[in-house]
Amino acid sequence: MKYELLIMAAKSLKANGARTALSMLGIVIGVATVIAVVGIGVGAKQAIEEQYKNLSVNTLMVMPTRGNAASTRVSEEDVPFVLGNSTLIEKGTAMVMGNDTVTYAKEEVSGSVVGGQASVFELLNLKLLGGRTFTEAEVSARGNLVVLGYTVAESLFDDVPVDGVGQFVTVGGRKMEVIGVLEENGSSVGPMTPDDTAYLPYSTAESRVLGTKAQKLLMFHAQSPDVVMLAQDELTQLLRENHRLRDSVADDFRIMDAGSMVSSATESTDTMSFLLTSVAIIVLLVSGIGIMNVMFVTVAERTKEIGIMKAIGAQRQDILLQFLLEAVVLSMVGGLLGVALGYSVLPFLGDYGAVISAEGGLLGFGFSVVVGIVFGFIPALKASRLDPVDALRSE
Amino acid sequence: MKKTTIESVIKMKGVTKSYWLSNGVEVPVLHGIDLDIKKGEFVALMGESGGGKSTLMNIIGFLHALDAGEYFLEGEELGRAQDDFTLSFIRNRKIGFIFQQFNLVTKLTALENVALPSFYAGKERVERLARAQYLLNSMGMGDRSHHRPSELSGGQQQRVSIARSLVNDPEIILADEPTGALDSQTGKEVMKILSEFKDRGKTVVMVTHDAHVAAYADRIVFMKDGLVLDHDYKLKK
Repeated sequence: MKYELLIMAAKSLKANGARTALSMLGIVIGVATVIAVVGIGVGAKQAIEEQYKNLSVNTLMVMPTRGNAASTRVSEEDVPFVLGNSTLIEKGTAMVMGNDTVTYAKEEVSGSVVGGQASVFELLNLKLLGGRTFTEAEVSARGNLVVLGYTVAESLFDDVPVDGVGQFVTVGGRKMEVIGVLEENGSSVGPMTPDDTAYLPYSTAESRVLGTKAQKLLMFHAQSPDVVMLAQDELTQLLRENHRLRDSVADDFRIMDAGSMVSSATESTDTMSFLLTSVAIIVLLVSGIGIMNVMFVTVAERTKEIGIMKAIGAQRQDILLQFLLEAVVLSMVGGLLGVALGYSVLPFLGDYGAVISAEGGLLGFGFSVVVGIVFGFIPALKASRLDPVDALRSE
Repeated sequence: MKKTTIESVIKMKGVTKSYWLSNGVEVPVLHGIDLDIKKGEFVALMGESGGGKSTLMNIIGFLHALDAGEYFLEGEELGRAQDDFTLSFIRNRKIGFIFQQFNLVTKLTALENVALPSFYAGKERVERLARAQYLLNSMGMGDRSHHRPSELSGGQQQRVSIARSLVNDPEIILADEPTGALDSQTGKEVMKILSEFKDRGKTVVMVTHDAHVAAYADRIVFMKDGLVLDHDYKLKK
């Protein structure tokens, strides 16, 4: 019996095709917008996860305080001191970073140059595609060795990166042997994009390639994610001790933990998603007001019909249900069309980082049904409460 | 001679009804109506315009509530009934309405219009449509069942409306000027159908201005200024 009410609702909507289509349009656009913005939001979140995937949450990075790069005492000497005295930090490396060119035959690539200790690959979670990484002995011996990021090797060696292993390239004017090539990575953290980077032994990079233009930083791993905050406090104390800073003197370094970096980036995309979704939901609410308006007009137009229905025995709830169903059918059909439109448009929003996600469709469609129920209720209630004699008299 | 007890289907005592204008002024319409209509009677309500006939019909049909007095429907005092369930149940099962302007739902076919009251009675679709088709056939409208009201003549629409009033097999048929919108020949045909209701055991109450139409009734109740002047008014020959 209820399905017949649905058919009656559909018939009534069909009878006023243009009006139905126009009021549905708001819902269609609203739902499609929700799908698009949720797709962009989810895409942004995934992009951040991808970007930071190399950083485990127990990573701590030490950098010179801003504007203090030249005179900083943040150096490779801090690493053995910290590792030797810390109870909470298990691994660490000093790094120098800069930009330079890498050339092979007539090919030249501009990219990042990073100098690190032997543990740098493990700390940055970098995997080898071929060859090997340098040892601590080679770091100490200032070996002219380089491990190339995937894109750098791909550019230099005709799209076959592993061919680079064993070849000699020039990094910042110095001839170096390629001992390894890294797997494609895709991540980026600030200036570090592993695929575009050439990794040298720390001493080689600092003294022979980058010189004073190098930016130094230290990277440590706390024993577990649970002790990151405690490890950060301990690291601060140890670095102050090693830098011989008096209590009255401010830190000459700053420490960033990966968890905070990721969460602050995620927070900003969450805020963006929230704002965009709110706008889309406002569109849906406005379209709900459109539905309410249309339903009021429908009730006014069909007052006599309501009078007839009451005279032949329809209860208030029958009439309420019938008009409510019309609003809900209107919003549901609009919602479904909106879902179809939203998911057809989404692939074209790839440039904005949008990805296809079920959340957008569920949220948009669910909300459209709620809008239909909420905004259809008052006109339906009005219809159900009409006096039968007054309703029968209307024309 | 054997004496038979004829039960009252509609019985009213001292029924009053007023309307209230928007400026708060009371307009009394019925001043104390006493009425007694027996089962199977065909009663015509006559009187001048504004005399309260339509208001009385609306009260008999539970479309309006009375202000004071008593209304017994099949022996049960229901004049105070106000809940939607009871009122709609009575309108649906006990009473069938026939209106001057037919009052069919324009977007439904003749068959769907006839079947509509039994939809609200909760009958199954197959049963509803079979009964509606049977009634349309009996009105000579079998071949028009899938036409919409706009595709039917006035007389045909009134037949659909009569079939609709019978679909839930009610005790009472209320007809408000049933021939008012029809030409005289079609009006006669409609009245012939109504006068046959007695044979089906129905009680018919009809409002009319037309003496020729009223002549079909067993009895004429004449109203004036909100009162029943004559319970068995005789038409002048």
